[in-house]
Amino acid sequence: MSTITNLAPDQASISRISNLRLMVGVTGLVLGLLAGIGLLSGGHATFNTSSLLTWGLPVSTYVFFVLTSTGLTFVASLAMVFGLKDFYPVAKRCVWGAVVTLVIGFISLGLEIGNPIRMLWVIPTNMAVTSPLWWMGLFYLTYAILLFWKFHLINQGDWSSQLSKLVGIASFVAVIFAHATLGSVFGMMAMRPFWYGPMVPVYFLITAFLSGLAFIMLFINLDYGVNQSNMSEGAARAMSRQLPAIFAIVLGLVIVFTIAKTMTGLWTNVPENKIVTQHIASSFLFQFELWIGMVLPFLLMLTAKRHEAKTQVVAGGLVIIALFIGRYEYVVGGQLVPMFKGAWADGLIDYTPSLTEIGIVVLAVSIGILLYAFGDKRLSLSDQPNA
Amino acid sequence: MTKWGMVIDLDKCTGCQACSTACQMENNRLPGENYQDVLYYTDRSQPTPKLVWFPRPCMHCEEPSCMHVCPTKATFKTEEGVVLVDWNKCIGCKYCMIACPYGVRFYTDEKPVIEPNVKDVFPGTGDLSWNPPYKGPQQDNAHGVGIQPHGVVSKCTFCYHKISKAPKGTSDLSNEDPALREYVPACVRTCAPTARYFGDLDNPNSEVSRLISDRDGARLLEHTGNKPQVYYLGRSAVVPGFKKS
Ligand code: SF4
Ligand code: SF4
Repeated sequence: MSTITNLAPDQASISRISNLRLMVGVTGLVLGLLAGIGLLSGGHATFNTSSLLTWGLPVSTYVFFVLTSTGLTFVASLAMVFGLKDFYPVAKRCVWGAVVTLVIGFISLGLEIGNPIRMLWVIPTNMAVTSPLWWMGLFYLTYAILLFWKFHLINQGDWSSQLSKLVGIASFVAVIFAHATLGSVFGMMAMRPFWYGPMVPVYFLITAFLSGLAFIMLFINLDYGVNQSNMSEGAARAMSRQLPAIFAIVLGLVIVFTIAKTMTGLWTNVPENKIVTQHIASSFLFQFELWIGMVLPFLLMLTAKRHEAKTQVVAGGLVIIALFIGRYEYVVGGQLVPMFKGAWADGLIDYTPSLTEIGIVVLAVSIGILLYAFGDKRLSLSDQPNA
Repeated sequence: MTKWGMVIDLDKCTGCQACSTACQMENNRLPGENYQDVLYYTDRSQPTPKLVWFPRPCMHCEEPSCMHVCPTKATFKTEEGVVLVDWNKCIGCKYCMIACPYGVRFYTDEKPVIEPNVKDVFPGTGDLSWNPPYKGPQQDNAHGVGIQPHGVVSKCTFCYHKISKAPKGTSDLSNEDPALREYVPACVRTCAPTARYFGDLDNPNSEVSRLISDRDGARLLEHTGNKPQVYYLGRSAVVPGFKKS
């Protein structure tokens, strides 16, 4: 009896969570496909974006997930590139998570673009090297190939051959470039003062890292039934010791960045920055993002409970929501002031994502959830190199 | 080499929108996607209010940020300085719309501004987004002229289908010379008070060059560095900053 009570509850909670995950994934997939039908019949006219506000929720979702992929690769690299061995037990999960979040990002963007298939030949044949978007595509493609390759290698048990190490280092370098060019896609737009600035790639770097850490805090704990005694000793150590500390430091930096950006925006006289920042800062979303999504998890990380799975799940989940809101505010915020429309458009642009746009996000995320569930079931994500 | 440019005299413009209407007819534009609009700005309040008209085509910038950001080179500049979109290459990423400081680009598949959607009334065949009963210029996808296909971005072409047929070396395209009228951009051709001029900016003797020089032609939003090839004359050629109404 006693052995059963030792084992059974944990196994039960693991499979309960994994069943729940499957259910969420399948429901999301059905709902997302319904939205997909809307897209097929009505095209992009079913979006609430327009010539006034061009990039909406699907683009900010893309930014959120590809940067999360970046962050997960960073965490995996702690072990695989920088030799912090404590992170080996979560490394394979991170790499698979990076693959999945990259796929989610690509789906979201692919369904937003007018002619995605045409990209396959016009981008490589035209070499538009002045375009930050071209470089972003190049680096993300390189990163995607290396990431899949790296996963394939470790999935075959090859963690430390010369080739495997090299692919790991190369994918780490590629993703740094990829995320930096993604930052430049926005940061180089001098005509949009809310975005403009050379620090955007740095801001993206640090929030990407936070995003990756938050995903681990949430999903790895869920994978083990929100109970670190279900983990191997090494994994439990990484999750309860190092991870909360790194998470808290990076979260602290992101809070400083967020406050600094907001204060600068409120102080400046440039209308495209000041009016937009006033608008954002006074919104419920922003207040939630800052206080509940960032400050609260930060405070949680300062308590002794930071080592516990439950606290980590809450903190990770809240930070993920905050970062998602942050990406949305950033992408949409840069476009809220109408570009040279005179008195035809004399207020900030009104934009709420349409059902189709939300559906695309649901579709992409649920495909991601199912892919992750597949990995969890079939790809032995808890593997680590034999010490 | 010719460098086509436009001059718009704000002291003459009455804000009648005839140019916008002519452009709509010429290029089959629907409400909300006008290649050419007459914007107006209001500034200050009573008793010294200011109301400024801004006829606004694409500026065909010397340094077109739309072109620099395009990841496929679908947006390009011709040797004669006209900025065009090759619809065969455009992937509809809309980065050019983000990067154009003058807000003159339009994506095909947007919610219609007015219902019923005219595009649904005249549905397109093949790749074309609609099939209007009257079609203006000959379809020329490689130069972004004609009816837009789905999933691409379009903009004012300076009536490329007309100006590209003008005799080489022409300095000005105006209604003055009956032999050249066919090649005059629709907005310039229609403007009743002759507030618009079109010609070769590289030719110091063209009327556009002389007007710019004699009357201090101004380019809008100079700080963007895009260097428009559309110049404005008149004291009111300054865009007021954004205010929330
Ligand atoms: S006005 Fe805009 S679309 Fe036209 S050339 Fe300049 S940047 Fe490009
Ligand atoms: S929407 Fe078309 S023209 Fe504009 S940047 Fe993208 S590919 Fe180039």
